[in-house]
Amino acid sequence: MANESVLVIGGGVAGVSSALKLAEDGFQVYLVERGPIIGGQAALFCCKATEKCSQCSVCLVPEKILEVAANPQISVVVNSEVVGISGGIGDFKVDLLQKPGFVDPEKCIACGICTELCPSEPQKGIYLPFPETAPRTYIIDKNQCLRFKGAECNVCQDNCPAGAIDFEQKPKELEVSAVIVATGFEVFDAREKGLLGYGRYSNVLTGLDLERIFATGDSVTLPSSGKCPRNIAFIQCVGSRDEYIGNGYCSQVCCKYAMRFAKLLQYQSPEAKVTIFYIDIQTAGKGFGEFYKECKETIRFVRGIPVEVCELSPNELEVKYEDLTKGKIAKESYDLVVLSVGIAPRKDSWDLARVLGINLGDYGFFDTQDTLDSNRTNVNGIFLAGTCQGPRDIPESIAHGIQAASKVIQTLTARAI
Amino acid sequence: MDKDLRLGVFLCDCGGTLSKVTDFSAIKAKLQKLSDVTYVGISHDLCLKRAQQAMQKDIKDKGINRVVVAACSPELHEKDFMNVVQSAGVNRHLLSMANIREQCFWAHPDKDKAAQKAMAQIGMAINRARFLEPVEQTQISVTKEVLIIGGGITGIQAAIELSNLNLKTTLVEKEAALGGKLNRFANLYPVQVSPEEVLATKLKQVAEGQNIYVLTSAELLDVSGEVGNFSARIKRGNGEFVRNFGAIIFATGYTTQFSSQIYGLELSNNIITQSQLEEMLKSSSEVKQIPKSVCFVTDISDEHSRVSPLSALRNALGIKEKFRGEVCVLCQNLKVDGAGLEKLYRDCRNKGVLFIKFDNSPRISKQDGKIKIEVEDVLMSGEQVTLPCDLLVLEETSVPPLDSKVLGSTLYMGLDAQGFYQENNVHLYPTASNREGIFFAGNCHADLDLMQALTDASNVALSAYQLLAQGKIAVEAEKVMVDPNKCRFCLTCIRACPHHAIQEAKVNHEKMVAQIADLACQGCGICAVVCPAKAIKPKDWSDEQILAEFELLGEYV
Repeated sequence: MANESVLVIGGGVAGVSSALKLAEDGFQVYLVERGPIIGGQAALFCCKATEKCSQCSVCLVPEKILEVAANPQISVVVNSEVVGISGGIGDFKVDLLQKPGFVDPEKCIACGICTELCPSEPQKGIYLPFPETAPRTYIIDKNQCLRFKGAECNVCQDNCPAGAIDFEQKPKELEVSAVIVATGFEVFDAREKGLLGYGRYSNVLTGLDLERIFATGDSVTLPSSGKCPRNIAFIQCVGSRDEYIGNGYCSQVCCKYAMRFAKLLQYQSPEAKVTIFYIDIQTAGKGFGEFYKECKETIRFVRGIPVEVCELSPNELEVKYEDLTKGKIAKESYDLVVLSVGIAPRKDSWDLARVLGINLGDYGFFDTQDTLDSNRTNVNGIFLAGTCQGPRDIPESIAHGIQAASKVIQTLTARAI
Repeated sequence: MDKDLRLGVFLCDCGGTLSKVTDFSAIKAKLQKLSDVTYVGISHDLCLKRAQQAMQKDIKDKGINRVVVAACSPELHEKDFMNVVQSAGVNRHLLSMANIREQCFWAHPDKDKAAQKAMAQIGMAINRARFLEPVEQTQISVTKEVLIIGGGITGIQAAIELSNLNLKTTLVEKEAALGGKLNRFANLYPVQVSPEEVLATKLKQVAEGQNIYVLTSAELLDVSGEVGNFSARIKRGNGEFVRNFGAIIFATGYTTQFSSQIYGLELSNNIITQSQLEEMLKSSSEVKQIPKSVCFVTDISDEHSRVSPLSALRNALGIKEKFRGEVCVLCQNLKVDGAGLEKLYRDCRNKGVLFIKFDNSPRISKQDGKIKIEVEDVLMSGEQVTLPCDLLVLEETSVPPLDSKVLGSTLYMGLDAQGFYQENNVHLYPTASNREGIFFAGNCHADLDLMQALTDASNVALSAYQLLAQGKIAVEAEKVMVDPNKCRFCLTCIRACPHHAIQEAKVNHEKMVAQIADLACQGCGICAVVCPAKAIKPKDWSDEQILAEFELLGEYV
């Protein structure tokens, strides 16, 4: 299989897993990522361990990223999007639109001088987004960089000891034998459920917000007062199991992350009370039944999804729900409400589907050709991996990424004979 | 220790950033005075190709035979430096690293103390380098054939995919025909293809696949040897034979079990288990009395597997489609976290299946042959509901088949709390066992739905292929070795090894000693720790190396 190359679109955990397996088999892999670094959404998530590991799998991501960075068979092409494709299996020609990233990953030694010298304050215009990045390259933040604000600043370029910064970079064209689409998902925008108050009330957060807060190593405080939350409500199935907004599927990750967060919040402040409003708690999976049992000891589970969240005062939120035990509308006040937002298909999937000629299926995820094959698309030689095909958690996305790699190798092996 | 030591120390100041904090030429001067240090170089960017080429040239030109790199974390570039050392003609294990960036200059604001610590770190790395030993790479040839145990959908799919990858497989099934659960299930909802159709397609692919050898009514008895060259004893009918395989895939699935204690009910003609219902639906025509109302009860036991709730969902729809009549599902939490399950749940409701959720277990009684179910429906404010029903379907729990448990223990494979196979690492290697070359796929190790089991099948096929495709496996010979003169054959290491990589062997036709199989060894070092005779040495972490490091550390503390 030497000299054959494969394009993987999307540098999230599924794409990275595909790329690593293909590289292991001797393929040249182009890992194309629209952002400045790979790792995808999961790279921004936090470890949810309390005094013991809660098996959230987030720690797998940096490990995979480092493996990619060390693998000479994988060319990571960042800041790029696929804008055109021609040819067929064994001989695809792919046009990439490369947005200049300004820092050359081949040259950058990640010494940190540029960040130190950058005159933009308080937020620097060039930095390493997080410790385990691949490519291991500092990135220029156009919102902060003085040059993009019109100033004639050239401090980083002049002082880079490796000469890695170049404000004039050019686009590319690739020739590949097969394509894996691993463009991932979008977190459901909780503002679409207006009555739940996200975006309007400062103390209504989403699961994603908690990921970001814990990922920076901070403890969770109330955005309104900076105090530690004492009474927290989680609302499940925001943007999942909801045919009215077009998401008639279970996101498969929210019950687990909500329970892990609830445990983590109680670990942070043991006196915090946590209530989880739910439809059905999803407890399938090795060891998860025991975790649920453990959670039930300290967390209150209430069946039913609240209809509305109101702000009584900046520090007090009122949650209105149907109390099923009494058959009446009940109101309870909380200081923090967390919306367990689910996995939604990317809104721009339509664009990529049109470029590649592949079909979209139920709810806007990419569709497969055969019911029993979750990788093959209607175009021979183009395969799917990870959450762009349907909701998956991190280990399942990794497994699906490897499966896509397996299908590529099988298909190209069959062609070679 | 080598008599003729020629140490080369390569310092990197990370683009000049570290030289600003401390004087690298002073460090260089101090290091040059140390005995055996042949060369000290300062670079600004050892992580880049250019500098690594220069480093390679220096190693060759100066005849360096031990390399010390003082730079950033080994996590980032240790492998690159090993490759440089190897390309310069020195064994790749003769490299020792000091992390003076993250662990020293970046961590400590006090410049003088940091400089002192950096000297200690480099000194320790140098001392360690003196005792480094080469580890040779060898290749072991392997049998390019895979044994798959279990001819259910997962095993069949793995065989087909391995055949697509041009690898021979032997598929062993204990029953008379392939198919496993496909032969028992009445439908595969939410997958809209019938089990008969799936089985027919798959069997056709098996027949067409040039490389699949099917053994039905056969059983695996025992396995000896190690990865690459297992020899398996297989029983078929009254005969027994032994064959060699490079890798083994277990796809033994699960079996279901009904325990009547949970309900206090005995099975009868109108109280049946999920598998009995499945049989009834499967054997279509011959149902004497068509049930007018059917109730499913799940979630009463503490079981949290997908098997029972999914079976209730699938067959609720199956019954509704086949017999019409009233169908009711009683559950606590409906499991819908799988592809298409929420849609299946909706289809069921659209077709008129009634779902009742309970917090307190329903009371089931039987009087004069009639079943009465009383339950508090939590969605109706806990209202007491009484349901008469003609046919009550009770949940079953999924358990590992007894023979797979027996095999697991005879082959030293780990089992989890329920007796299913335990993966080596649930997250990182979900299909690898604790033994190199033995893999798990499907429900024998995890709670999976059909699509997930198929994903597993692809993944094990790829793992086995990548292990065996070259016909040989590169391995580091004797990276952990037993000194036969010191070994007293106490068996402690054999018992302690989590990977079953240590076996007994005879030296000089007389003495029995422990011997480590290079292919199976993961280099964890547990055996070296437990050996009471200190006969086992991991070459990269020998006692001499660690003591030499500590000796220098003593001067600084």
